[in-house]
Amino acid sequence: MKKKFWLISLMMVMVAFLLVACNTGEQSTQSDGQDKSDTTETPSDNGGDSGEDHEDSSDDGPVKGGTIVGAMHTAPSGVFNPIFYSETYEANILDFTHEALVGQNNSLEFIPELAYDWEINDDQTAITFFLEEGVKWHDGEAFTADDVVFTYQTIADPNYTEAGGIRTEYVTPLKGYQEYVNGETDEFEGVVAEDDYTVTFYFEEPNVNPLYYASFPIIPEHKFAGVDVMDMPSHPATLDPGEVVGTGPFVFTDMVEREQYILTANEDYWQGRPYLDQIIWRIVDQSVMTGLLETGEIDFIADPEGVAPADYETVKGFGNIEIIEQTDFGYQLMGFKLNYRTPEDAEAGKINPDNWVENPDVADQKVRQAIAHAINRPGLVQGLLYGRGSVINAPIAQQFWAYTEDVPSYDYDPETAARMLDEAGYVDADGDGWRDFPNGDEWVLDLAYPTGNKLRERSAPVLEENLEAVGINVNLHPPKEFSAYLDDIFYNDTPDKKVDLYLLGWSLSSGDPDPSGLWNIEAQYNISRWNNAESDALIQKALQTPEAFDQDFRIDVYHEWQNLFATDLPAVLLYAQNKIYAFNDRLRGVDPLPYSFINNPHLWWVTDGK
Amino acid sequence: MYKYVIRRILIFIPMLFFLTVIVFILAKSAPGDPFSTMLDPNVDQQVFEERREALGLNDSLPVQYVRWISSVIQGDFGQSLVYNGREVSELINDRFMNTIYLGLVALFFTLIVAIPIGIYSAKNPYSPLDYFATGFGFLGLAIPNFFFGLIAIYVFAIHLGWFPAQGTVSNPNISGFQEFLDRIHHMILPGITLGLAGTATYMRYMRSEVLDVLGSDYVRTAKAKGMTDRNVLYKHTLRNALIPIITLMGFEFGVLVSGAVITEQVFNYPGLGTLFIDSTINRDYPVVMALCLIFGAFILVGNLLADIFYSVVDPRIRYD
Repeated sequence: MKKKFWLISLMMVMVAFLLVACNTGEQSTQSDGQDKSDTTETPSDNGGDSGEDHEDSSDDGPVKGGTIVGAMHTAPSGVFNPIFYSETYEANILDFTHEALVGQNNSLEFIPELAYDWEINDDQTAITFFLEEGVKWHDGEAFTADDVVFTYQTIADPNYTEAGGIRTEYVTPLKGYQEYVNGETDEFEGVVAEDDYTVTFYFEEPNVNPLYYASFPIIPEHKFAGVDVMDMPSHPATLDPGEVVGTGPFVFTDMVEREQYILTANEDYWQGRPYLDQIIWRIVDQSVMTGLLETGEIDFIADPEGVAPADYETVKGFGNIEIIEQTDFGYQLMGFKLNYRTPEDAEAGKINPDNWVENPDVADQKVRQAIAHAINRPGLVQGLLYGRGSVINAPIAQQFWAYTEDVPSYDYDPETAARMLDEAGYVDADGDGWRDFPNGDEWVLDLAYPTGNKLRERSAPVLEENLEAVGINVNLHPPKEFSAYLDDIFYNDTPDKKVDLYLLGWSLSSGDPDPSGLWNIEAQYNISRWNNAESDALIQKALQTPEAFDQDFRIDVYHEWQNLFATDLPAVLLYAQNKIYAFNDRLRGVDPLPYSFINNPHLWWVTDGK
Repeated sequence: MYKYVIRRILIFIPMLFFLTVIVFILAKSAPGDPFSTMLDPNVDQQVFEERREALGLNDSLPVQYVRWISSVIQGDFGQSLVYNGREVSELINDRFMNTIYLGLVALFFTLIVAIPIGIYSAKNPYSPLDYFATGFGFLGLAIPNFFFGLIAIYVFAIHLGWFPAQGTVSNPNISGFQEFLDRIHHMILPGITLGLAGTATYMRYMRSEVLDVLGSDYVRTAKAKGMTDRNVLYKHTLRNALIPIITLMGFEFGVLVSGAVITEQVFNYPGLGTLFIDSTINRDYPVVMALCLIFGAFILVGNLLADIFYSVVDPRIRYD
């Protein structure tokens, strides 16, 4: 009897499921109707526009109201605090909610944001900002100079890095930072409030680009006052929608974690209420993103991934989608591992050029230049990027005033490459079909690359093929997972790792073109271990005050440096990929910055707003 | 019986302990840590070194393990290393029920398709429908999950608009019964996708078991006594044929929790599967360890439940 009961209850559970299934049937027909009406709206909207020219219909001017949906493929990890977040996915939300004293315009000049004006002293050691009055935080409190002081003071706090913060670059050049972070004093002299609406940044030394340091988003003191910096990352004002407070045009009001993040118009925004009522970020798998864009379920695809180059034509074919294509800040490179570190130095995490072990495989500058000629870079851009990118020769973002095309460039020319290798003495000595060292020793180049970036993964065999075509024996390593790969080329880049060529991509900062972080001899991220004193001297010179206060001076020096780079060639720059933004043409007023889709979102509007 | 269950549960403890030791060693021997992939020219490596030191990642393995296990014993899974400041238990909680619901829906779809078809195929072996079901079942087994999921999204979500394409709920502001229906609505496509592969397995098992039992002596005896086919099937055959199905479901119980990484990914359904993969890639040790512990516990419990159900279904099986 007892046993029968078990069986019966099992069956009842199953019957219960059946009932649920019936309910779901009803539900699906209901929202079926809703979805249909949504999708029929989009094409009619498109038809009314007659083609892609959206200017003519905008004589009606912006309309208030409406909601748009943006898509990104990875969810933010949930730290909605400018001083603690570390991923671009959070930035997609914080860019709507928080503001800095200064922003940037299309030519990457710093422009007023929360500060309407500023004064820089003659030797550029102090900069005084005059703040907008009447700016309110989302919860109604007034924004003042104290908030600015609080933000920078928190980043300078001795426990800030231990609490998980990584933005100390904004405070390190400020006056008294060392004393403050070492706990020698309680007074932080770097940022001082003169009165409620005037704040001065003091620098330890004359600073070439002081405005950059004021471009960090401000957090509200009243929300975090009295909170120990160690507790800030887990504070509700960091984690919870409704509690996260900024001065920006949109308020982070609600979320379904890892699915939807809802931003609502800030009614009291100091530059006027946004036209849109709501902006919703949805997390969408990359493979269905374009499909949802077509049906109008999502309105825009922007940073960090944008539309894949392979999907460009498809998306363009939808008809109701506007596409903005612009150069990305960054590049992919094939680096030459010029020097290795000794195991002792690597173990201790030391960068000591005196101990470096030179890598004979790529030590000859002429050989590196020949390799650059052997690589079909236009072919990579065409084949992998479908033409949605460019070949570059200098490692400074193309958008910067400092960038120049006028450097030695290496056209795809296998014959020149072969000739240069012959001249350098790298010929086939033992008749095995591969080139050898001038002294007859066997010459093999080891090419290592990581998994993750699909385009980069696919470029590795192409590079192998290109190099083998000019007689270079390439040993293509199997791809490694990124952490393991970094151990080989970066954390423990010792001679026994036998890496000669490595693939990597860098995203560059839009704040300043200074390349020292990647290419200085002793820079940690100088993964090639490029040991060129002339380069260091030039990079240093470009920041030398007072000459460097003059931008023309810096331009000249950077041009010289880029020439040196392209000649000595610590890395072949493979390509710079274009960023492809796509959005439904009912969305108007979009005006992306060179580095971000999100610019003045309070001026975005939709044609069907009410 | 009760003695048996208690004994089994007591054995779980050392098993789980060894599981955590092994997973811990494996996880730690993978190169890198949560900070090793954060390459940012604007951030000094020293910053990450300080974080490592603060989090105790530089301590020796035994020290780190003892620290971890002693806080787990006190019921604290610690904080995630990647999701700055988030409690591991909170991260898992958020997704645990999502995963369970999805697993149940998938299992439900599997069973309502597989069992009736399996029975039908067994009763009418080598009939056209039997062949069709077999073919269909193997097709289901052969189609990769993500492919079927994508097709389902394109057909049923994007073109027909019957189901939502992504996520678990359409809007954070609904609640109560409406939310329940909305969640079910979101689960249908991923549920079917996830259940598809299992369908073939269950169907084949059901078919061969029923066929087996139908040919056995006691069924012939029952028929000889004049029982109807229907009664023979439901009273005598099914009960015996269910045993292997229960074994399968016991295993499934563990799989249910460990989630379906690919299905979750394609439908952007936040469950434990994607959390597990993400935290492994990010070297988020506290999350990896906590998940392994949970997965292990569920698999053990699933096996135990299967054993218990055996004796319920088949009185000949007894545990002492």
